[in-house]
Amino acid sequence: MDFAPILMSARVASLATLLAVVTGTPLAWLLGRHRFRGQAFIEGLVLLPLVLPPTVLGYYLLVLVNRSAPVGQLFDGLGLELAFTWRGAVLAAWVGSFGLFVRAAQAGFELVDPRLEDAARTLGRSEWSVFCAVTLPLAWRGLAAGTALAFCRAVGEFGITLMVAGNIPGRTQTVPLAIYDYVQANRMAEANALSLLTLAVVGLLLLLARRGSGARL
Amino acid sequence: MLSVEILKVFPGFTLDVRWEVGDGVVALFGPSGAGKTLTLQCLAGLIRPDSGRIVVRGRSLFDSVAGVNRPVRDRNLGVVFQGFALFPHLTVMENIAFGLDRVASEVRRRRTEEMIERLGLTAVARLRPAQLSGGQQQRVALGRALALDPDLLLLDEPLSALDSPLRRSLRDDLQATLRGFGKTAIVVTHDLAEVCQLADQIVVYDRGRVVQAGRKSDVLGRPASPEVASALGIRNVLEGTVLESTAEFVRLDWRGHTMVAANWPERPDLPAAGSRVAFFVRPEHVRLMRKDRGGPVPERRVNLISGAVVGEVDMGSMVALQFRAEGDGPPQARGYDLEIEVSRLVHEKLCVYYDRQWTVSVQPSAVQLLPGLRASAAPG
Repeated sequence: MDFAPILMSARVASLATLLAVVTGTPLAWLLGRHRFRGQAFIEGLVLLPLVLPPTVLGYYLLVLVNRSAPVGQLFDGLGLELAFTWRGAVLAAWVGSFGLFVRAAQAGFELVDPRLEDAARTLGRSEWSVFCAVTLPLAWRGLAAGTALAFCRAVGEFGITLMVAGNIPGRTQTVPLAIYDYVQANRMAEANALSLLTLAVVGLLLLLARRGSGARL
Repeated sequence: MLSVEILKVFPGFTLDVRWEVGDGVVALFGPSGAGKTLTLQCLAGLIRPDSGRIVVRGRSLFDSVAGVNRPVRDRNLGVVFQGFALFPHLTVMENIAFGLDRVASEVRRRRTEEMIERLGLTAVARLRPAQLSGGQQQRVALGRALALDPDLLLLDEPLSALDSPLRRSLRDDLQATLRGFGKTAIVVTHDLAEVCQLADQIVVYDRGRVVQAGRKSDVLGRPASPEVASALGIRNVLEGTVLESTAEFVRLDWRGHTMVAANWPERPDLPAAGSRVAFFVRPEHVRLMRKDRGGPVPERRVNLISGAVVGEVDMGSMVALQFRAEGDGPPQARGYDLEIEVSRLVHEKLCVYYDRQWTVSVQPSAVQLLPGLRASAAPG
Protein backbone atom coordinates (compact mmCIF):
# COMPACT_ATOMS: atom_id res chain seq x y z
CA MET A 1 0.00 0.00 0.00
CA ASP A 2 1.11 3.52 -0.87
CA PHE A 3 1.44 5.91 2.07
CA ALA A 4 1.91 9.03 -0.07
CA PRO A 5 -1.84 9.98 -0.08
CA ILE A 6 -1.96 9.75 3.73
CA LEU A 7 1.03 12.04 4.13
CA MET A 8 -0.38 14.38 1.49
CA SER A 9 -3.75 14.52 3.22
CA ALA A 10 -2.11 15.17 6.60
CA ARG A 11 -0.08 18.01 5.16
CA VAL A 12 -2.89 19.56 3.10
CA ALA A 13 -5.58 19.29 5.80
CA SER A 14 -3.29 20.66 8.53
CA LEU A 15 -2.18 23.66 6.50
CA ALA A 16 -5.72 24.35 5.25
CA THR A 17 -7.03 24.20 8.82
CA LEU A 18 -4.30 26.51 10.05
CA LEU A 19 -5.16 28.92 7.24
CA ALA A 20 -8.88 28.71 8.11
CA VAL A 21 -8.16 29.46 11.79
CA VAL A 22 -5.87 32.39 11.02
CA THR A 23 -8.16 33.98 8.44
CA GLY A 24 -11.46 32.91 10.01
CA THR A 25 -10.89 34.08 13.60
CA PRO A 26 -10.92 37.83 12.87
CA LEU A 27 -14.02 37.45 10.69
CA ALA A 28 -15.78 35.29 13.27
CA TRP A 29 -14.95 37.87 15.95
CA LEU A 30 -16.30 40.67 13.77
CA LEU A 31 -19.52 38.77 13.06
CA GLY A 32 -20.01 37.49 16.60
CA ARG A 33 -19.15 40.69 18.48
CA HIS A 34 -20.53 43.49 16.34
CA ARG A 35 -23.64 44.53 14.45
CA PHE A 36 -23.05 46.37 11.19
CA ARG A 37 -24.62 47.00 7.81
CA GLY A 38 -24.13 44.23 5.29
CA GLN A 39 -23.58 41.66 8.02
CA ALA A 40 -26.29 39.32 6.69
CA PHE A 41 -24.67 39.50 3.26
CA ILE A 42 -21.25 38.51 4.62
CA GLU A 43 -22.78 35.71 6.66
CA GLY A 44 -24.45 34.44 3.49
CA LEU A 45 -21.16 34.62 1.64
CA VAL A 46 -19.49 32.54 4.37
CA LEU A 47 -22.19 29.87 4.03
CA LEU A 48 -22.11 29.77 0.23
CA PRO A 49 -19.13 27.40 -0.17
CA LEU A 50 -20.88 24.95 2.16
CA VAL A 51 -23.89 24.63 -0.13
CA LEU A 52 -22.43 25.17 -3.62
CA PRO A 53 -21.53 22.03 -5.59
CA PRO A 54 -17.76 21.52 -5.07
CA THR A 55 -17.21 21.30 -8.80
CA VAL A 56 -18.71 24.75 -9.26
CA LEU A 57 -16.47 26.16 -6.53
CA GLY A 58 -13.52 24.35 -8.02
CA TYR A 59 -14.29 25.69 -11.46
CA TYR A 60 -14.32 29.30 -10.26
CA LEU A 61 -11.15 28.78 -8.24
CA LEU A 62 -9.44 27.37 -11.27
CA VAL A 63 -10.59 30.36 -13.32
CA LEU A 64 -9.02 32.54 -10.63
CA VAL A 65 -5.67 30.80 -10.15
CA ASN A 66 -4.79 29.23 -13.53
CA ARG A 67 -1.48 30.29 -15.05
CA SER A 68 -2.98 32.88 -17.38
CA ALA A 69 -5.19 34.54 -14.76
CA PRO A 70 -3.81 37.57 -12.83
CA VAL A 71 -4.02 35.88 -9.43
CA GLY A 72 -2.37 32.75 -10.79
CA GLN A 73 0.41 34.81 -12.37
CA LEU A 74 0.95 36.72 -9.12
CA PHE A 75 1.51 33.47 -7.20
CA ASP A 76 3.62 32.04 -10.04
CA GLY A 77 5.81 35.13 -9.79
CA LEU A 78 6.31 34.43 -6.07
CA GLY A 79 7.31 30.90 -6.87
CA LEU A 80 4.10 29.59 -5.29
CA GLU A 81 2.38 28.00 -8.24
CA LEU A 82 -1.18 27.03 -7.27
CA ALA A 83 -2.97 25.24 -10.13
CA PHE A 84 -2.32 21.48 -10.13
CA THR A 85 0.13 21.61 -7.22
CA TRP A 86 -0.24 20.55 -3.58
CA ARG A 87 -0.64 24.24 -2.73
CA GLY A 88 -3.75 24.24 -4.90
CA ALA A 89 -5.02 21.34 -2.81
CA VAL A 90 -4.47 23.45 0.34
CA LEU A 91 -6.36 26.31 -1.28
CA ALA A 92 -9.21 23.96 -2.18
CA ALA A 93 -9.42 22.50 1.32
CA TRP A 94 -9.26 25.98 2.85
CA VAL A 95 -12.17 27.19 0.74
CA GLY A 96 -14.15 24.11 1.66
CA SER A 97 -13.56 24.36 5.41
CA PHE A 98 -13.46 28.13 6.00
CA GLY A 99 -17.24 28.51 6.40
CA LEU A 100 -17.53 25.67 8.91
CA PHE A 101 -14.81 27.19 11.07
CA VAL A 102 -16.29 30.69 10.95
CA ARG A 103 -19.80 29.48 11.91
CA ALA A 104 -18.57 27.58 14.97
CA ALA A 105 -16.11 30.28 16.03
CA GLN A 106 -18.77 33.00 15.64
CA ALA A 107 -21.09 31.03 17.92
CA GLY A 108 -18.22 30.83 20.42
CA PHE A 109 -17.68 34.60 20.37
CA GLU A 110 -21.41 35.28 20.69
CA LEU A 111 -21.47 33.34 23.97
CA VAL A 112 -18.93 35.62 25.64
CA ASP A 113 -20.71 38.06 27.98
CA PRO A 114 -19.83 41.58 26.72
CA ARG A 115 -19.83 42.81 30.32
CA LEU A 116 -16.73 40.70 30.98
CA GLU A 117 -14.95 42.62 28.23
CA ASP A 118 -16.24 45.89 29.70
CA ALA A 119 -14.93 44.79 33.10
CA ALA A 120 -11.49 44.17 31.58
CA ARG A 121 -11.55 47.63 29.97
CA THR A 122 -12.37 49.32 33.28
CA LEU A 123 -9.38 47.48 34.74
CA GLY A 124 -7.09 49.33 32.39
CA ARG A 125 -6.67 46.79 29.61
CA SER A 126 -6.28 47.78 25.95
CA GLU A 127 -8.59 46.33 23.31
CA TRP A 128 -5.94 43.86 22.19
CA SER A 129 -5.29 42.79 25.76
CA VAL A 130 -9.05 42.38 26.37
CA PHE A 131 -9.23 40.12 23.32
CA CYS A 132 -6.28 37.97 24.37
CA ALA A 133 -7.04 37.75 28.10
CA VAL A 134 -10.85 37.55 28.10
CA THR A 135 -12.54 37.10 24.73
CA LEU A 136 -10.29 34.43 23.26
CA PRO A 137 -10.07 32.17 26.35
CA LEU A 138 -13.86 32.35 26.81
CA ALA A 139 -14.64 31.71 23.13
CA TRP A 140 -12.13 28.86 23.19
CA ARG A 141 -14.67 26.03 22.96
CA GLY A 142 -16.23 27.45 19.82
CA LEU A 143 -12.83 27.97 18.23
CA ALA A 144 -11.71 24.45 19.10
CA ALA A 145 -14.90 22.93 17.75
CA GLY A 146 -14.55 25.01 14.59
CA THR A 147 -10.96 23.86 14.18
CA ALA A 148 -11.93 20.20 14.50
CA LEU A 149 -14.80 20.59 12.04
CA ALA A 150 -12.60 22.45 9.59
CA PHE A 151 -9.96 19.72 9.78
CA CYS A 152 -12.58 16.99 9.15
CA ARG A 153 -13.94 18.87 6.18
CA ALA A 154 -10.42 19.47 4.81
CA VAL A 155 -9.55 15.77 5.13
CA GLY A 156 -12.67 14.85 3.21
CA GLU A 157 -12.31 17.49 0.50
CA PHE A 158 -12.67 15.90 -2.97
CA GLY A 159 -14.47 17.92 -5.63
CA ILE A 160 -12.74 21.29 -5.30
CA THR A 161 -9.35 19.59 -5.01
CA LEU A 162 -9.93 17.54 -8.13
CA MET A 163 -10.76 20.67 -10.12
CA VAL A 164 -7.95 22.89 -8.80
CA ALA A 165 -5.14 20.45 -8.02
CA GLY A 166 -6.03 17.45 -10.12
CA ASN A 167 -5.36 13.87 -9.09
CA ILE A 168 -1.63 13.40 -9.59
CA PRO A 169 -0.27 10.45 -7.57
CA GLY A 170 2.61 11.53 -5.37
CA ARG A 171 2.09 15.22 -6.09
CA THR A 172 -1.52 16.21 -5.39
CA GLN A 173 -3.29 12.98 -4.62
CA THR A 174 -4.96 13.02 -1.19
CA VAL A 175 -6.73 10.14 0.55
CA PRO A 176 -10.21 10.71 -0.92
CA LEU A 177 -8.77 10.93 -4.44
CA ALA A 178 -6.70 7.80 -3.84
CA ILE A 179 -9.78 5.94 -2.62
CA TYR A 180 -11.55 6.93 -5.84
CA ASP A 181 -8.63 5.63 -7.92
CA TYR A 182 -8.46 2.36 -5.96
CA VAL A 183 -12.17 1.74 -6.51
CA GLN A 184 -11.81 2.53 -10.21
CA ALA A 185 -8.97 0.03 -10.40
CA ASN A 186 -11.00 -2.51 -8.40
CA ARG A 187 -8.39 -2.57 -5.60
CA MET A 188 -11.01 -2.88 -2.84
CA ALA A 189 -8.63 -3.91 -0.04
CA GLU A 190 -6.71 -0.60 -0.29
CA ALA A 191 -9.90 1.40 -0.73
CA ASN A 192 -11.27 -0.28 2.36
CA ALA A 193 -8.14 0.43 4.44
CA LEU A 194 -8.02 4.12 3.53
CA SER A 195 -11.77 4.54 4.11
CA LEU A 196 -11.56 2.92 7.54
CA LEU A 197 -8.62 5.15 8.48
CA THR A 198 -10.52 8.29 7.40
CA LEU A 199 -13.63 7.17 9.25
CA ALA A 200 -11.60 6.61 12.42
CA VAL A 201 -9.80 9.97 12.30
CA VAL A 202 -12.86 12.03 11.41
CA GLY A 203 -15.13 10.17 13.81
CA LEU A 204 -12.72 10.68 16.70
CA LEU A 205 -12.28 14.38 15.95
CA LEU A 206 -16.02 14.94 15.74
CA LEU A 207 -16.48 13.21 19.08
CA LEU A 208 -13.82 15.46 20.65
CA ALA A 209 -15.35 18.56 19.07
CA ARG A 210 -18.77 17.72 20.46
CA ARG A 211 -17.31 17.10 23.91
CA GLY A 212 -15.40 20.38 23.79
CA SER A 213 -18.32 22.48 22.65
CA GLY A 214 -20.76 20.99 25.16
CA ALA A 215 -22.57 19.15 22.33
CA ARG A 216 -23.83 22.37 20.76
CA LEU A 217 -22.74 21.19 17.31
CA MET B 1 -15.17 65.06 44.63
CA LEU B 2 -17.18 64.29 41.54
CA SER B 3 -19.04 66.59 39.23
CA VAL B 4 -21.38 65.14 36.61
CA GLU B 5 -23.26 66.73 33.77
CA ILE B 6 -24.67 64.35 31.17
CA LEU B 7 -27.06 64.65 28.28
CA LYS B 8 -27.75 61.48 26.33
CA VAL B 9 -30.73 61.12 24.01
CA PHE B 10 -32.12 57.76 22.95
CA PRO B 11 -35.33 57.20 21.01
CA GLY B 12 -37.98 57.29 23.74
CA PHE B 13 -35.62 58.09 26.62
CA THR B 14 -33.53 61.10 27.51
CA LEU B 15 -30.96 61.19 30.29
CA ASP B 16 -30.43 64.78 31.36
CA VAL B 17 -28.70 64.98 34.73
CA ARG B 18 -26.41 67.32 36.62
CA TRP B 19 -25.11 66.71 40.12
CA GLU B 20 -22.05 67.15 42.29
CA VAL B 21 -20.97 65.19 45.34
CA GLY B 22 -18.08 65.12 47.77
CA ASP B 23 -16.15 62.17 49.19
CA GLY B 24 -18.20 59.44 50.82
CA VAL B 25 -20.83 56.99 49.72
CA VAL B 26 -23.41 58.34 47.29
CA ALA B 27 -26.58 56.43 46.41
CA LEU B 28 -28.05 56.87 42.95
CA PHE B 29 -31.58 55.99 43.85
CA GLY B 30 -34.75 55.66 41.82
CA PRO B 31 -37.05 53.22 40.07
CA SER B 32 -35.82 50.84 37.35
CA GLY B 33 -35.39 52.56 34.02
CA ALA B 34 -34.69 55.97 35.58
CA GLY B 35 -31.21 56.16 34.04
CA LYS B 36 -29.04 55.22 37.02
CA THR B 37 -27.08 52.43 35.35
CA LEU B 38 -26.78 54.51 32.19
CA THR B 39 -25.16 57.27 34.26
CA LEU B 40 -22.70 54.75 35.65
CA GLN B 41 -21.84 53.56 32.14
CA CYS B 42 -21.22 57.15 31.07
CA LEU B 43 -18.95 57.68 34.10
CA ALA B 44 -17.02 54.51 33.30
CA GLY B 45 -16.69 55.55 29.65
CA LEU B 46 -18.58 52.55 28.31
CA ILE B 47 -21.21 54.86 26.80
CA ARG B 48 -20.42 58.27 25.38
CA PRO B 49 -22.78 61.10 26.39
CA ASP B 50 -24.07 63.40 23.64
CA SER B 51 -22.77 66.32 25.64
CA GLY B 52 -21.73 67.26 29.16
CA ARG B 53 -18.79 67.11 31.53
CA ILE B 54 -17.46 64.56 34.00
CA VAL B 55 -14.76 65.67 36.43
CA VAL B 56 -13.27 63.38 39.09
CA ARG B 57 -10.99 64.99 41.69
CA GLY B 58 -10.15 67.82 39.32
CA ARG B 59 -9.39 65.46 36.42
CA SER B 60 -11.61 65.77 33.34
CA LEU B 61 -12.78 62.38 32.06
CA PHE B 62 -15.22 63.79 29.57
CA ASP B 63 -15.85 67.31 28.33
CA SER B 64 -17.83 67.79 25.15
CA VAL B 65 -16.86 71.46 24.91
CA ALA B 66 -13.12 70.92 25.34
CA GLY B 67 -13.26 67.71 23.26
CA VAL B 68 -12.04 65.44 26.07
CA ASN B 69 -13.13 61.80 26.15
CA ARG B 70 -10.70 59.59 28.00
CA PRO B 71 -10.89 55.92 26.99
CA VAL B 72 -12.20 53.49 29.60
CA ARG B 73 -8.75 52.12 30.39
CA ASP B 74 -7.34 55.55 31.29
CA ARG B 75 -10.13 56.60 33.66
CA ASN B 76 -8.79 54.78 36.72
CA LEU B 77 -12.20 53.86 38.10
CA GLY B 78 -13.19 50.73 39.96
CA VAL B 79 -16.43 49.20 38.76
CA VAL B 80 -18.46 46.49 40.49
CA PHE B 81 -20.86 45.28 37.83
CA GLN B 82 -24.37 44.02 38.43
CA GLY B 83 -23.98 40.25 38.85
CA PHE B 84 -20.25 40.98 39.45
CA ALA B 85 -18.98 39.97 35.96
CA LEU B 86 -16.08 37.97 37.39
CA PHE B 87 -13.84 36.27 34.84
CA PRO B 88 -15.04 32.66 34.95
CA HIS B 89 -11.84 31.24 33.48
CA LEU B 90 -9.57 32.81 36.11
CA THR B 91 -9.03 32.02 39.79
CA VAL B 92 -9.90 34.43 42.59
CA MET B 93 -6.26 35.50 42.74
CA GLU B 94 -6.04 36.05 38.98
CA ASN B 95 -9.31 37.99 39.00
CA ILE B 96 -8.03 40.35 41.68
CA ALA B 97 -4.65 40.76 39.98
CA PHE B 98 -6.24 41.36 36.56
CA GLY B 99 -5.94 45.15 36.61
CA LEU B 100 -2.36 45.07 37.89
CA ASP B 101 -0.80 43.73 34.71
CA ARG B 102 1.31 46.83 34.17
CA VAL B 103 2.97 46.97 37.55
CA ALA B 104 6.11 45.04 38.46
CA SER B 105 5.40 41.41 39.26
CA GLU B 106 6.75 41.79 42.80
CA VAL B 107 4.37 44.67 43.57
CA ARG B 108 1.57 42.87 41.81
CA ARG B 109 1.95 39.79 43.97
CA ARG B 110 2.15 41.78 47.19
CA ARG B 111 -0.88 43.95 46.42
CA THR B 112 -2.94 40.92 45.37
CA GLU B 113 -2.04 39.02 48.53
CA GLU B 114 -2.84 42.03 50.70
CA MET B 115 -6.23 42.43 49.07
CA ILE B 116 -7.04 38.72 49.39
CA GLU B 117 -6.16 38.79 53.05
CA ARG B 118 -8.06 42.01 53.71
CA LEU B 119 -11.20 40.55 52.16
CA GLY B 120 -10.84 37.19 53.91
CA LEU B 121 -10.49 35.24 50.66
CA THR B 122 -7.28 33.38 51.50
CA ALA B 123 -8.96 29.99 51.71
CA VAL B 124 -10.56 30.33 48.28
CA ALA B 125 -7.75 32.19 46.47
CA ARG B 126 -7.16 29.33 44.03
CA LEU B 127 -10.81 28.60 43.24
CA ARG B 128 -12.81 29.79 40.24
CA PRO B 129 -15.80 32.16 40.65
CA ALA B 130 -18.32 29.38 39.94
CA GLN B 131 -17.11 27.57 43.06
CA LEU B 132 -17.73 30.56 45.36
CA SER B 133 -20.76 31.65 47.37
CA GLY B 134 -22.56 34.86 46.43
CA GLY B 135 -20.90 36.72 49.28
CA GLN B 136 -17.42 35.58 48.28
CA GLN B 137 -18.12 36.60 44.68
CA GLN B 138 -19.08 40.05 45.87
CA ARG B 139 -15.83 40.37 47.78
CA VAL B 140 -13.80 39.25 44.76
CA ALA B 141 -15.58 41.86 42.63
CA LEU B 142 -14.77 44.52 45.22
CA GLY B 143 -11.18 43.36 45.51
CA ARG B 144 -10.70 43.40 41.76
CA ALA B 145 -12.07 46.94 41.55
CA LEU B 146 -10.09 48.22 44.55
CA ALA B 147 -6.74 46.60 43.68
CA LEU B 148 -5.85 49.48 41.35
CA ASP B 149 -6.57 52.09 44.04
CA PRO B 150 -9.14 53.85 41.81
CA ASP B 151 -10.11 57.53 42.09
CA LEU B 152 -13.77 56.62 42.09
CA LEU B 153 -15.67 53.44 42.84
CA LEU B 154 -18.85 52.59 40.93
CA LEU B 155 -21.19 49.83 42.13
CA ASP B 156 -24.21 48.79 40.08
CA GLU B 157 -26.85 47.11 42.26
CA PRO B 158 -24.12 45.37 44.26
CA LEU B 159 -26.53 43.31 46.38
CA SER B 160 -29.28 42.52 43.90
CA ALA B 161 -27.72 39.21 42.81
CA LEU B 162 -27.97 37.82 46.34
CA ASP B 163 -30.88 36.28 48.19
CA SER B 164 -32.38 38.20 51.03
CA PRO B 165 -30.96 36.66 54.25
CA LEU B 166 -27.48 36.95 52.74
CA ARG B 167 -28.16 40.47 51.52
CA ARG B 168 -28.53 41.78 54.98
CA SER B 169 -25.20 40.49 56.30
CA LEU B 170 -23.40 41.48 53.09
CA ARG B 171 -24.73 44.98 53.44
CA ASP B 172 -22.70 45.19 56.66
CA ASP B 173 -19.55 43.94 54.86
CA LEU B 174 -20.10 46.33 51.99
CA GLN B 175 -20.62 49.22 54.37
CA ALA B 176 -17.31 48.49 56.10
CA THR B 177 -15.44 48.22 52.79
CA LEU B 178 -16.91 51.44 51.42
CA ARG B 179 -16.10 53.32 54.64
CA GLY B 180 -12.52 52.11 54.32
CA PHE B 181 -12.26 53.31 50.72
CA GLY B 182 -12.31 56.97 51.72
CA LYS B 183 -12.90 58.52 48.29
CA THR B 184 -16.20 58.82 46.45
CA ALA B 185 -18.16 55.61 45.92
CA ILE B 186 -21.34 55.64 43.82
CA VAL B 187 -23.88 52.92 44.56
CA VAL B 188 -26.76 52.41 42.15
CA THR B 189 -29.74 50.92 43.94
CA HIS B 190 -33.50 50.84 44.05
CA ASP B 191 -33.61 49.44 47.57
CA LEU B 192 -34.34 52.04 50.23
CA ALA B 193 -32.87 49.85 52.97
CA GLU B 194 -29.53 49.85 51.12
CA VAL B 195 -29.66 53.62 50.80
CA CYS B 196 -30.37 54.04 54.50
CA GLN B 197 -27.48 51.84 55.59
CA LEU B 198 -24.81 52.63 53.00
CA ALA B 199 -25.18 56.18 51.80
CA ASP B 200 -24.12 59.59 53.12
CA GLN B 201 -25.59 61.41 50.16
CA ILE B 202 -28.46 60.61 47.83
CA VAL B 203 -29.16 61.57 44.24
CA VAL B 204 -32.77 60.66 43.42
CA TYR B 205 -33.50 59.80 39.79
CA ASP B 206 -36.83 59.69 38.07
CA ARG B 207 -37.34 59.19 34.32
CA GLY B 208 -33.91 60.39 33.27
CA ARG B 209 -33.77 63.41 35.58
CA VAL B 210 -32.48 64.24 39.03
CA VAL B 211 -35.43 65.14 41.21
CA GLN B 212 -33.47 65.76 44.39
CA ALA B 213 -29.89 65.52 45.60
CA GLY B 214 -28.41 66.12 49.01
CA ARG B 215 -27.48 64.65 52.37
CA LYS B 216 -29.29 61.44 53.19
CA SER B 217 -31.11 62.83 56.21
CA ASP B 218 -32.34 65.86 54.25
CA VAL B 219 -33.63 63.88 51.31
CA LEU B 220 -35.29 61.14 53.36
CA GLY B 221 -36.69 63.52 55.97
CA ARG B 222 -37.81 66.26 53.65
CA PRO B 223 -38.50 65.04 50.13
CA ALA B 224 -38.56 68.01 47.78
CA SER B 225 -41.78 67.07 46.02
CA PRO B 226 -44.50 64.44 45.84
CA GLU B 227 -42.54 62.89 42.94
CA VAL B 228 -39.48 62.44 45.14
CA ALA B 229 -41.67 61.04 47.90
CA SER B 230 -43.10 58.44 45.57
CA ALA B 231 -39.66 57.71 44.06
CA LEU B 232 -38.42 57.13 47.60
CA GLY B 233 -41.27 54.70 48.08
CA ILE B 234 -42.97 56.93 50.64
CA ARG B 235 -46.57 55.90 51.05
CA ASN B 236 -49.60 57.85 52.25
CA VAL B 237 -48.94 60.94 50.16
CA LEU B 238 -52.17 62.93 50.59
CA GLU B 239 -53.48 66.33 49.62
CA GLY B 240 -55.31 68.83 51.77
CA THR B 241 -56.20 72.51 52.13
CA VAL B 242 -54.31 74.78 54.52
CA LEU B 243 -56.47 76.30 57.24
CA GLU B 244 -53.84 78.11 59.26
CA SER B 245 -50.07 78.19 59.32
CA THR B 246 -47.67 79.44 61.96
CA ALA B 247 -43.98 78.95 62.67
CA GLU B 248 -44.80 76.00 64.95
CA PHE B 249 -47.54 74.16 63.10
CA VAL B 250 -49.71 73.99 60.01
CA ARG B 251 -53.37 73.14 60.42
CA LEU B 252 -55.02 71.65 57.37
CA ASP B 253 -58.25 70.14 56.21
CA TRP B 254 -58.16 66.75 54.64
CA ARG B 255 -61.46 65.29 53.50
CA GLY B 256 -63.30 66.93 56.37
CA HIS B 257 -60.72 65.99 59.04
CA THR B 258 -58.61 68.65 60.62
CA MET B 259 -54.97 67.61 60.76
CA VAL B 260 -52.09 69.33 62.50
CA ALA B 261 -48.58 69.07 61.08
CA ALA B 262 -45.52 70.24 62.99
CA ASN B 263 -43.70 72.97 61.10
CA TRP B 264 -39.96 73.54 60.93
CA PRO B 265 -38.88 76.99 62.01
CA GLU B 266 -36.43 77.14 59.10
CA ARG B 267 -39.11 76.57 56.46
CA PRO B 268 -38.65 79.58 54.19
CA ASP B 269 -42.28 80.25 53.30
CA LEU B 270 -45.44 79.34 55.17
CA PRO B 271 -48.15 77.88 52.97
CA ALA B 272 -50.99 80.41 52.62
CA ALA B 273 -54.38 79.64 54.13
CA GLY B 274 -56.72 78.24 51.51
CA SER B 275 -53.91 76.79 49.34
CA ARG B 276 -53.71 73.11 48.49
CA VAL B 277 -50.70 71.21 49.86
CA ALA B 278 -49.38 67.69 49.59
CA PHE B 279 -48.26 65.91 52.74
CA PHE B 280 -47.40 62.41 53.81
CA VAL B 281 -47.94 60.31 56.87
CA ARG B 282 -45.39 57.61 57.67
CA PRO B 283 -47.23 54.27 57.92
CA GLU B 284 -45.26 53.24 61.00
CA HIS B 285 -46.26 56.46 62.83
CA VAL B 286 -50.02 55.86 62.78
CA ARG B 287 -51.47 54.45 66.02
CA LEU B 288 -54.64 52.48 66.51
CA MET B 289 -56.59 53.79 69.54
CA ARG B 290 -57.43 51.01 71.99
CA LYS B 291 -61.11 50.82 72.75
CA ASP B 292 -60.69 49.21 76.21
CA ARG B 293 -58.90 52.16 77.79
CA GLY B 294 -61.57 54.86 77.84
CA GLY B 295 -60.14 57.15 75.20
CA PRO B 296 -56.64 58.23 74.34
CA VAL B 297 -54.24 59.91 76.75
CA PRO B 298 -54.34 63.69 76.33
CA GLU B 299 -51.20 64.09 74.23
CA ARG B 300 -52.51 61.56 71.75
CA ARG B 301 -55.83 63.39 71.44
CA VAL B 302 -54.71 64.97 68.21
CA ASN B 303 -55.22 64.15 64.53
CA LEU B 304 -57.88 61.57 65.39
CA ILE B 305 -59.46 59.94 62.36
CA SER B 306 -62.23 57.34 62.41
CA GLY B 307 -62.69 54.79 59.72
CA ALA B 308 -62.52 51.15 58.83
CA VAL B 309 -59.80 48.65 58.00
CA VAL B 310 -60.70 47.42 54.52
CA GLY B 311 -57.73 45.17 53.81
CA GLU B 312 -54.33 44.07 55.01
CA VAL B 313 -51.02 42.95 53.60
CA ASP B 314 -48.95 40.48 55.58
CA MET B 315 -45.31 41.59 55.59
CA GLY B 316 -43.93 39.02 58.01
CA SER B 317 -43.19 40.67 61.34
CA MET B 318 -45.40 43.63 60.38
CA VAL B 319 -48.92 43.87 58.96
CA ALA B 320 -49.87 46.75 56.66
CA LEU B 321 -53.50 47.73 57.23
CA GLN B 322 -55.41 49.54 54.53
CA PHE B 323 -57.48 52.15 56.32
CA ARG B 324 -60.42 53.99 54.83
CA ALA B 325 -61.30 57.19 56.68
CA GLU B 326 -64.84 58.42 57.19
CA GLY B 327 -65.28 61.69 55.45
CA ASP B 328 -66.25 63.63 52.37
CA GLY B 329 -65.52 62.41 48.89
CA PRO B 330 -63.94 59.25 47.57
CA PRO B 331 -60.88 57.68 49.24
CA GLN B 332 -57.43 58.72 48.15
CA ALA B 333 -56.45 55.68 46.09
CA ARG B 334 -57.41 52.07 45.43
CA GLY B 335 -60.33 52.15 47.87
CA TYR B 336 -58.40 53.25 50.96
CA ASP B 337 -56.72 56.37 52.34
CA LEU B 338 -53.91 55.38 54.63
CA GLU B 339 -51.53 52.52 54.97
CA ILE B 340 -50.84 51.76 58.62
CA GLU B 341 -48.07 49.47 59.75
CA VAL B 342 -48.58 47.63 63.01
CA SER B 343 -46.54 44.82 64.48
CA ARG B 344 -47.96 41.34 64.21
CA LEU B 345 -48.25 41.25 68.00
CA VAL B 346 -50.47 44.36 68.05
CA HIS B 347 -52.49 43.03 65.14
CA GLU B 348 -53.26 39.83 67.04
CA LYS B 349 -53.79 41.41 70.48
CA LEU B 350 -56.29 43.94 69.17
CA CYS B 351 -58.07 41.31 67.05
CA VAL B 352 -57.92 43.65 64.06
CA TYR B 353 -58.83 40.77 61.84
CA TYR B 354 -62.34 40.63 63.40
CA ASP B 355 -62.82 44.19 64.60
CA ARG B 356 -62.64 46.53 61.62
CA GLN B 357 -63.86 49.89 62.99
CA TRP B 358 -61.03 51.96 64.43
CA THR B 359 -59.96 55.44 65.35
CA VAL B 360 -56.36 56.27 64.59
CA SER B 361 -54.07 59.01 65.83
CA VAL B 362 -51.07 60.59 64.14
CA GLN B 363 -48.49 62.71 65.94
CA PRO B 364 -48.08 66.13 64.30
CA SER B 365 -44.38 65.42 63.85
CA ALA B 366 -45.30 62.42 61.68
CA VAL B 367 -47.35 64.55 59.28
CA GLN B 368 -44.89 66.05 56.83
CA LEU B 369 -45.69 68.75 54.34
CA LEU B 370 -44.27 68.44 50.86
CA PRO B 371 -43.37 71.49 48.80
CA GLY B 372 -45.60 71.64 45.74
CA LEU B 373 -48.38 69.43 44.52
CA ARG B 374 -48.16 66.21 42.57
CA ALA B 375 -47.94 67.33 38.95
CA SER B 376 -50.85 65.22 37.77
CA ALA B 377 -53.14 66.42 40.56
CA ALA B 378 -52.37 70.12 40.28
CA PRO B 379 -55.45 72.14 39.33
CA GLY B 380 -55.59 73.24 35.69
